[in-house]
Amino acid sequence: MIKINKIAEKIGAKADVKWLTGQTAKERIGVMIAGGEYPDFVDASDGTPEMVEAGAFVPLDDYIDDYPNIKNLFTEQEWNLIRSAHGKIYYIPQFGVVKGEYMRTQHNGEAFWIQKRVLKWAGYPEITTLDEYFDLIEAYLEANPESEDGQKNIGFAIITDDWRYFALENPPQFLAGYPNDGKAIVDPETLEAKVYDTIPEAKIYFKKLNEMYNKGIIDPETFTMNYDQYLAKISSGRVLGMVDQYWQFSDAENSLRSQGMDDRTYVPLDLVIDPNVTPQYLDKPHVNPARGLGITVSCEDVEGALQFLNDLLDPEVMIMRYWGEEGVDYEVDENGRFYRTEEQRANHRDTNWVTQNKADYNYFPTYEGLIEGTQNAVHPSEQPEEFWDSLTDIDREVLEAYGYEKWTDFLTPVEENKPWYPIYSAVDSWTADTPEGIAAVKMDEVKKQWLPKVIMAPTNEFEREWEEYMTVYHNEVDIEAYEKALTEEVRRRVEAALGN
Amino acid sequence: MKKISISDVVFDLIKWTFLIFMTLATLYPILNTLAVSFNDGMDTLRGGIHLVPREFTLENYRTVLQKDNLIQGAIVTVSRTVFGTVTQLFVTALLAYILSRKEFIFRKPITLLYIFTMYFNAGIIPNYLWLQKLGLINTFWVYVIPGAVSAFNVLVIRTYINGLPDSLVESAKIDGASHFRIFINIILPLCKPVLATVAIFIAVYHWNSWFDAMLYNGFNDRLTTLQYELMKLLSSVTSQGGDVESMKHTKSMVTPASVRAATTIVTALPIVLIYPFLQKYFVSGLTIGGVKE
Amino acid sequence: MQLEKSETMEKIPEQTAPNSRLAVWRRKLKGQKELILLSLPFVIYIIVFNYMPLIGWTMAFQKYRPALGFFEQEWVGLENFKFLFADSNFLRVIRNTLAMSTINLVLTFTFSIAFALLLNEVRNKYVKRTMQTISYLPHFLSWIIVTGIVMDVLSPETGIVNEILLALGIIDQPINFFADPKYFWWIVGFANVWKSTGWGSIIYLAAITSINKELYEAASIDGAGRFRKMWHITLPGIKPTIFILLLINIGWILDAGFEVQYLLGNGLIQSVSETIDIFVLKYGISLNNYSLATAAGIFKGIISVILIFTANKLAKMAGEERLF
Repeated sequence: MIKINKIAEKIGAKADVKWLTGQTAKERIGVMIAGGEYPDFVDASDGTPEMVEAGAFVPLDDYIDDYPNIKNLFTEQEWNLIRSAHGKIYYIPQFGVVKGEYMRTQHNGEAFWIQKRVLKWAGYPEITTLDEYFDLIEAYLEANPESEDGQKNIGFAIITDDWRYFALENPPQFLAGYPNDGKAIVDPETLEAKVYDTIPEAKIYFKKLNEMYNKGIIDPETFTMNYDQYLAKISSGRVLGMVDQYWQFSDAENSLRSQGMDDRTYVPLDLVIDPNVTPQYLDKPHVNPARGLGITVSCEDVEGALQFLNDLLDPEVMIMRYWGEEGVDYEVDENGRFYRTEEQRANHRDTNWVTQNKADYNYFPTYEGLIEGTQNAVHPSEQPEEFWDSLTDIDREVLEAYGYEKWTDFLTPVEENKPWYPIYSAVDSWTADTPEGIAAVKMDEVKKQWLPKVIMAPTNEFEREWEEYMTVYHNEVDIEAYEKALTEEVRRRVEAALGN
Repeated sequence: MKKISISDVVFDLIKWTFLIFMTLATLYPILNTLAVSFNDGMDTLRGGIHLVPREFTLENYRTVLQKDNLIQGAIVTVSRTVFGTVTQLFVTALLAYILSRKEFIFRKPITLLYIFTMYFNAGIIPNYLWLQKLGLINTFWVYVIPGAVSAFNVLVIRTYINGLPDSLVESAKIDGASHFRIFINIILPLCKPVLATVAIFIAVYHWNSWFDAMLYNGFNDRLTTLQYELMKLLSSVTSQGGDVESMKHTKSMVTPASVRAATTIVTALPIVLIYPFLQKYFVSGLTIGGVKE
Repeated sequence: MQLEKSETMEKIPEQTAPNSRLAVWRRKLKGQKELILLSLPFVIYIIVFNYMPLIGWTMAFQKYRPALGFFEQEWVGLENFKFLFADSNFLRVIRNTLAMSTINLVLTFTFSIAFALLLNEVRNKYVKRTMQTISYLPHFLSWIIVTGIVMDVLSPETGIVNEILLALGIIDQPINFFADPKYFWWIVGFANVWKSTGWGSIIYLAAITSINKELYEAASIDGAGRFRKMWHITLPGIKPTIFILLLINIGWILDAGFEVQYLLGNGLIQSVSETIDIFVLKYGISLNNYSLATAAGIFKGIISVILIFTANKLAKMAGEERLF
């Protein structure tokens, strides 16, 4: 709070933020458009196309050259993509910009996770394939059916609650060596989009899960538990591994740390089926050109609004947003590197102190990596010295055993993102009167029901169930229309990135 | 000279079993919510909190009570609850009385006109556009004027009035009293139990409402409501609402479950405290009930 | 009816008949001046606030886009209705909705009425008030809290229900209640009972106060036991209220909601958990189709009106309290 006011003082503006979530959000956007009354700034999320169509956003093309911090946020190619969606620049994407160097220490995306105690028990082996992963879990579970505290260990869990079920359906794309395009895999040569539910890797993967389920490695409750129950299981320290995106269970990991169960926290692994395939779990932060923060026609002072955003990106303000005040929240050494004293670190671990003293707000245009003009990380937790100092003994032991510096080193580094990446953002604007729109809903419906079914089937019935699943899938989902729409979008984005 | 029959004993047994079971079953979720609201959020994640907190904390309540605009929201909510309940109760009862008059020639068409509203809804966007046209958006009145007469409540009160002896109204009419006088002097006092019931319905509706605040006055902090502020708090704690990107780098200080529990207790408490004052009108034993002929 | 008949049969003479009828009417109107004046504001009010916005129903026949004005919308005829009925899933979600509504209706009515009747038999004022207060509290819990507790209670690993069933030897393996479609409707039904029994009983408790207590005294003199008094005096005393609520609720039979089903459902049981409202969410708003919900709303409204007219007629024939 205090920091928000200080920043406000510095740039002479303050924003009041209102959240809209879930179904209500979409409805609220519809009402906003119909009524023609908007707040100054809006990030309409998947309602963005409607907002643009309604003429709710002020086109920014003629303005941004005057605001260097905003202008420099994106490359020419990225601006082209943002512009291409609607012909003009109507909004500023808020996430996915890296300045200077990629500094992430923690993998935030999807991976197969494994508890540190399991790796330690096995003597820190290299795990690269799906089979090795499950063999390790199976062996550990056999040797340690219970933890020292007498709780029954759970081999593997997947969260399937509502929209969170993506971790159940999307691993085939990673196992086959594709990045998280979601909704489809894209061939970089032919630029063709293809569903990943029918590729050979999908069947291999779910057959493996079926085998593991029948062996009792997979939690029998996995397909019926809700999100809270999932977090509860992880927080109890019993779950040896799961496939998920980190942010989904980060709260549970924090809980484990606060209970002193650091050896039950997780390490990410980028598994493949064929060891010759290069995995692409780790993705560079990417700009989603389909969404962003727009300035609405109700805003009386467009220049003031842009100045406000520009000021927020100023190095001085960025430091204040993330590090705080020099001498209070952090110190600077003779080489210009930022660090925190023990007391300052303690303050930042105290949630109460943080809520009262820090501007913990990340939802205006920002960037990560290094603060411009300095060698310091934007996020204190990504400053290498700060990161290393924050680690516990087991953390250091694991990293040293593998010769890594940070958790992201467990994953294969990747090249730049492709211009169409991630293709899942295309689905936002699909409507119910297009075959691809219906196909997308049907696809979810079929997978939500059938994937748990094939995994839970008795092993000798797997083949039959899989055949049936595939039959239903092909009957219900208009794959052709779906793939065609995505392929067109891939090609459009590739062209647009070139500025055509 | 009380005699105890077997059937009465059996009846008592069934009665107490059922009542005690229901009471315990409904007590549990409340105590559980109370326990969670006083328990450390991170610890709650582990599950297994039942009736008592494991790691006591006031952090959840601090988070809730520190929400900015909370006072303003409370003022608006109390205003609309008091004003809304009093006026709506009066007009609802008046309409119920009118529609209870068997001789009234427009009784059926007006009743139908109201009944249909329980099943027909224009939808969110048309309603918004219409209220905008009427100039009610961004005003306090949008909370109390639309929906001021609920068909459901009208029917509940009308049924109660129908159960009163006709002779009361008839004799008053012979004395030359107007309908309005009969309504005020005879019907209202006799309807206390059902009015107390409907008052609770209306009051709780106003107390809990946030959707209209979001929809119609979402950009006006002066007209925010308590529940809307708490909804905003909850959704900022649960910010993952579907947008994967926006989740990155957020560290939740308290968990959604713990804030939700504290929020529930904070909002339910005032109602629970006021309840006994209304309750005495309809849970008062057989001695007060009964209408003198 | 009669008026028309007389006119067509004999056109010129017999002017007195309609005239006298009109006169009666006029006299009636005059006598009811006060009631008419009192009701007039209510008629205007309901038309302004509930019927005027129904112009918005035109949305159901458009491909509605909020960005466009009324005259710019694209008209699609019955397209949205066709979409609903063309999907084989729609019939399934109607079945689910009907099943869950009916179960909810029967269970919550039975429990609320039983609770009110039995609570009424408690003599001690404080015990009675305390029990009543506790019982309505779950009404204030959001569904997300209630469903969370329901899932914990039914969990195959730690849930108390499985523990009890195992201890009693009724089952030898814990039941995973949410993996088998056959339990789902009942779970939703009892979750509703849990949340709304106490709240629902308030109306009946109020209705009980209007029962003439001399009836009980008379019955006592006749030697009636407590159960018989409850059954023959209290229950008939609240029958009009029960009937009115029943009639209203029959009209809502296609509204089984979506929140509970959404929170308790999962992929394995989605064939029984999805309601009309969930279907509309999936294919409507989330696919940028604002019109589908309106079309579904009109469909539900029409069915509701047919149902309450039928139910009302039946109530009339049975000589019971009715809506209109």
